[in-house]
Amino acid sequence: MSADVTLENIWIRFDDFTAVKNADITIKGGEFFSFLGPSGCGKTTLLRAISGFQELSEGKVYIGGKDMAGIGPNKRPTALIFQNLALFPLMTVWENITFSLEVKGVGKAKRLKRADELLELVALPGQADKMVNELSGGQRQRVAVARALAAEPEVLLLDEPLSALDLKLRQHLRTELREIQKRAGITFIYITHDQGEALTMSDRIAVMREGTIEQVGNGNMIYDHPETAFVASFVGENNAFHGTVSKISAGKTIVKTDAGELEATLTEGSRLSTGDKAIVFARPESMSFVNRKNSVKNVFKAKVVYQEFEGHFWHLILSGPNDKKLKMSVINSGSSHDYDEGTELQVNVNSKLAVALPSGPLAAE
Amino acid sequence: MNSASILKFFISFYIVLFFAYLFGPLIVMSITAFNSAGFPRLSPWDCFSTEWFGVLVNDARMMAGFKNSLIIGISVVLVSVPIGLAGALLLAQLSNRVRQVYYTLTISTILVPGVVLGISTLIFWDRMGMMFDVDYESFFYDGIFLTIIGQSTFISAYTMLVFMSRLQRFDPVLEEAAMDLGATNVQTFRKILLPFLKPAIGSAAVLAFLASFENYNTTVFTIVSESTLTTVLASKVRYGINPSISALAVIIITLTLCGAFVHEILKRREQAKELALKKEEKTVSVKSASRGLLSNPVPMMVLLIFVAGLTTAWMARGYDVQQCKIEVSEEKRKHQAELSKIRRVEMEKKLEAQKTDTASPSTVTTKKAAPGTNQYGNIFAPTNLEGQVESEETNPVTKKNTENQYQNIFAPTNLEGQIKSENE
Amino acid sequence: MILWFKKFFLRNGIVLSLYMLLMTFTWIVVMFVLPQVFMFDFSFRFNWTQIDPSKIGGPEDVYTLQHYKFLLFGSPNNPDPFNVVDVTVFGRTILAAVFVTLFDVILCYPVAYYLAQVAKGGITRLMMLSLIIPFWINELLRAFAFRILFGEEGTINNVLLYLGILDQPIDYVRENIALYAGLGYAYILLMIFPIYNAVESLDRNQIEAARDLGSPWWRIHWRVVIPFAKPGITSGCTMVFMLSAGALALPQIIGGPSSLWFTQIIYQWFNTGSNWPRGSAYAMSLLVICVIFVLLIMKVFKVKFGEIGR
Repeated sequence: MSADVTLENIWIRFDDFTAVKNADITIKGGEFFSFLGPSGCGKTTLLRAISGFQELSEGKVYIGGKDMAGIGPNKRPTALIFQNLALFPLMTVWENITFSLEVKGVGKAKRLKRADELLELVALPGQADKMVNELSGGQRQRVAVARALAAEPEVLLLDEPLSALDLKLRQHLRTELREIQKRAGITFIYITHDQGEALTMSDRIAVMREGTIEQVGNGNMIYDHPETAFVASFVGENNAFHGTVSKISAGKTIVKTDAGELEATLTEGSRLSTGDKAIVFARPESMSFVNRKNSVKNVFKAKVVYQEFEGHFWHLILSGPNDKKLKMSVINSGSSHDYDEGTELQVNVNSKLAVALPSGPLAAE
Repeated sequence: MNSASILKFFISFYIVLFFAYLFGPLIVMSITAFNSAGFPRLSPWDCFSTEWFGVLVNDARMMAGFKNSLIIGISVVLVSVPIGLAGALLLAQLSNRVRQVYYTLTISTILVPGVVLGISTLIFWDRMGMMFDVDYESFFYDGIFLTIIGQSTFISAYTMLVFMSRLQRFDPVLEEAAMDLGATNVQTFRKILLPFLKPAIGSAAVLAFLASFENYNTTVFTIVSESTLTTVLASKVRYGINPSISALAVIIITLTLCGAFVHEILKRREQAKELALKKEEKTVSVKSASRGLLSNPVPMMVLLIFVAGLTTAWMARGYDVQQCKIEVSEEKRKHQAELSKIRRVEMEKKLEAQKTDTASPSTVTTKKAAPGTNQYGNIFAPTNLEGQVESEETNPVTKKNTENQYQNIFAPTNLEGQIKSENE
Repeated sequence: MILWFKKFFLRNGIVLSLYMLLMTFTWIVVMFVLPQVFMFDFSFRFNWTQIDPSKIGGPEDVYTLQHYKFLLFGSPNNPDPFNVVDVTVFGRTILAAVFVTLFDVILCYPVAYYLAQVAKGGITRLMMLSLIIPFWINELLRAFAFRILFGEEGTINNVLLYLGILDQPIDYVRENIALYAGLGYAYILLMIFPIYNAVESLDRNQIEAARDLGSPWWRIHWRVVIPFAKPGITSGCTMVFMLSAGALALPQIIGGPSSLWFTQIIYQWFNTGSNWPRGSAYAMSLLVICVIFVLLIMKVFKVKFGEIGR
């Protein structure tokens, strides 16, 4: 069973700062939903509010249409997987997994059986009698998932559960988590600061900054059509060209920047008008080299500083106008080759892929 | 030899001296328990004997006190462990400013002199008893009850400190995890927090019992008409001493060493377990555990003492205490006779007195040498010491009553007169 | 306040909240604070229980300062300007407690430092246990041991006489040497552990850095280690001072006849003297003076109360 989670105008204030500002969002039942943002953006606080550990200053949480006000964490149909997993160190694996049944007074035989089933589900058969400390990081991860699932929650909340693992394991567990979610068919709410995790696993993503949800959408939307400067700079890599809007036409704009006049697309409902400060964001892969001099539009000069080879891509670090550092990625096809340091080149920004957004704070490097 | 090595030498020397100071008194006391002489001493050594243990066991007052001490100790554990736990749990949830005040109050219970705690407890329950007009048989005036309450006042702070240090290592997220999985507050407490605190509960209980068992300052006021081992000991030690107290010390020291031994083993085992879990290298930890048991100094110490005890017991086989005593007293008699011979030459006049003195020591008196009858016992005999006190005492009351014994100085009759004169 | 209670109950549930609050309330208020208040009140009352119990609670049961006056000036027909005996004993008790405290600091600092910074692994463990074991043994038995050692016919005199260092036995009890040695012994642990805890948290590199800069060992201690260990030292001193000033068993057993301890006077008012209010007044005075003394020391050394305790 899965349930919708609705956050209605939620504010969470502490003594000296506001952790969550007016969060208003509905997460559909059975959805894999991620909150993505840098540390301190309020995403964990929001998660604790959903699970019932954090009191709200304003607003309401509905799970399955039911108002959760005054309902303690032990009474909510949610299960939380903590950042440090919070497995009980004095219990065996099976005792950990069936803790939620134990507190309900389920008999031992039944619990042992359920533990075996769940261990099967998370691909850890035969480990029931081990102590938690005897497991590796990845195994513990699975035990934590099994323990949460044993409670038969309608919503599973995950607080950066993969952050302590090494890269290979992390990538492996991503797909596994996604599969478990599909099999269990329940709502997953996932918290992360790792955009790769968010993009690969989620149905939808909410990007947060300083307590505010900046944009909600699927991975593709967030990456290709960022709505704020922060989202554009936080999700994926982006080159930012600061400037002023000089011309606006249907869905397009021309922004005057250090790199000359750049043409870029406007987001839907953009409120940019002539004379506004704006930033043009161009993804590394949306830039290309041009040889012919006649192509004047969206072209500027840049020098190669150094380059990295990453198999399917060449990554080039360039020094653009006013010594601006730029990053550009070129697909490794037959025609591409390496450049010497200091080579001067003409760079073109694809105006269809470049986005012009109102000036605003960027993600920290 | 350069200055650094001289310094090193001095430091080692100092450490050795320090530990000699720490253990010397205990060792000397333990040895005196086995000297048959009526006064606890190392030299002159009379005979090896275990008779003082018998004297101790047959001492009804001591045994009654011991029983009360046990009852009180166990009750104090039952009172102060839950209180200390509640205190530590509450401390963790207080805001910073309140916590300061609260902590100061709790620590004050340790810092306030035990005498003051005893007195205030006694007075408080006495006044309460008066307020509720209960009779003297009720617990308001019961020495055991008052002692349990009085001791628990500061022992709870000890147990709280034990729990505090354990709680510092507790990850509160575990509690949240349990709650999140549907456990109620009580279930979380019972299934998550209590198992984690189990070792601390054990050490707090031991600490509380020991602190209660050895307490004197508070107990002496709250015990009223009852007695505990310490109050019996105190009155015994104050008014004449004999080696049966040393015998008690031997028993307690032995128990303490055994306790330390068990504690050490348990701790080692726990550490080895933790190590094994952490490193996932069982073979290594098992090896170190077995090696650790041999290299561990404390069990070695206990083992040595045990071996020493066995050897003495073996050597004592076929050794006749009575025979030895007769020899010793014979020797003493001879010595005395010689002395008196010399004195006879020197002082003819005191001959008669000396003769009655030397004639008396027989096997019977040495064996049952109660303090005061033995020639050495006189030094610490009450009359002797009190005479000194009396002469030095400058209290105005004493001045008036210089003929009186020291005990009478504060005798009720005496004081009552004084009080009356004041109140009038 | 109400909000706090609401949150507290919400967080812990009714059962645990009540357990925590009732237990600590009973402890702090009923067992500790109220008895102190009652004792304070009692110290201002006449000793009706002994004189005329029927007057308790009657119109004549009023407050009086007579017990405090008695402590300061003695009985009305006392010829001296103040109560020479009690005031002298009071002052001497405080002074002796200070002396014992200083003795313990000097005695214990090197050992605590050695344990914390020099000794390694197994040795530290053994030394720690050796420190603790004597304190598991009854205080009275320890006092008894000192009596055996320091008696006129005691072990120390016997040894010194045998070695020919002395030709006359010394009466250590009369000279109070036995008492000071016993008191110093009794509170070693309370002095070592706070200092040990403080010194242990000192980064060894700091000492090494000072040594590198050519500081002699005494200057390293004076300028680096001791300032760092100050909270621990003060904490230890506070406890040793309070406990020595409030000691009763040791002065009773190995105290010299010339040096009555103030607690002994209190004891006498309670037991043989049967004047509880006066005993309370004396106890109250001891408590107040000791607390003031300790607060002063903390103020001088700028240590907060929260830093005390293990």
